[in-house]
Amino acid sequence: MAVNNTLLDRLVGLAMLALASAVFLYYTIWTLLLPFVDDSHPLQSAFPPRVWAIRIPVILLLLGGAVVGSFLSVVMIRSNRKKALKARQKEAGKKSS
Amino acid sequence: MTRAQQTLSIGLLVASVYMVAFLGLAPLPAKIQDDIIPVLPIWAIVSFGAYLLFKLGYGVATFNDVPEAHQELMREIQEARADLQKKGVEVD
Repeated sequence: MAVNNTLLDRLVGLAMLALASAVFLYYTIWTLLLPFVDDSHPLQSAFPPRVWAIRIPVILLLLGGAVVGSFLSVVMIRSNRKKALKARQKEAGKKSS
Repeated sequence: MTRAQQTLSIGLLVASVYMVAFLGLAPLPAKIQDDIIPVLPIWAIVSFGAYLLFKLGYGVATFNDVPEAHQELMREIQEARADLQKKGVEVD
């Protein structure tokens, strides 16, 4: 079996891997490690206030849900309109014949 | 035991353990109780998302083309098309 794994594919895959690991590490340190770190430690300056650790995922989830929901509704409305149009055409065809 | 039963029972177990910790029914150090326990569900969701992205990226990075299977598939599609057209079915 010839191997044809284009460079672009591998780059995109590696980028996704790196992003996933970075997000996981950053978020884990932010939520689970920082409470045990003194307020005066320089590490605290690399992270925003902890409320945002809750707000950002919730906002992203709501946005994602809205996008998926609107896409679904647009597709369903379009498909229903096509179905109604076809039914109407069939009626017109039947009446005229 | 079906897959659904298994998943449901594990889910219930995790949920009850978390409930015990969340409602303070088990004595825990104050720092952990106030700062870590409430954040665990969202942390689990974010970590799950990161895990899925990781799996996707790994799949994309290690996916290889198979030109022979591609040729074979194209040939099979042609044959199926010819066959169906002969039998009067509309193709494409």
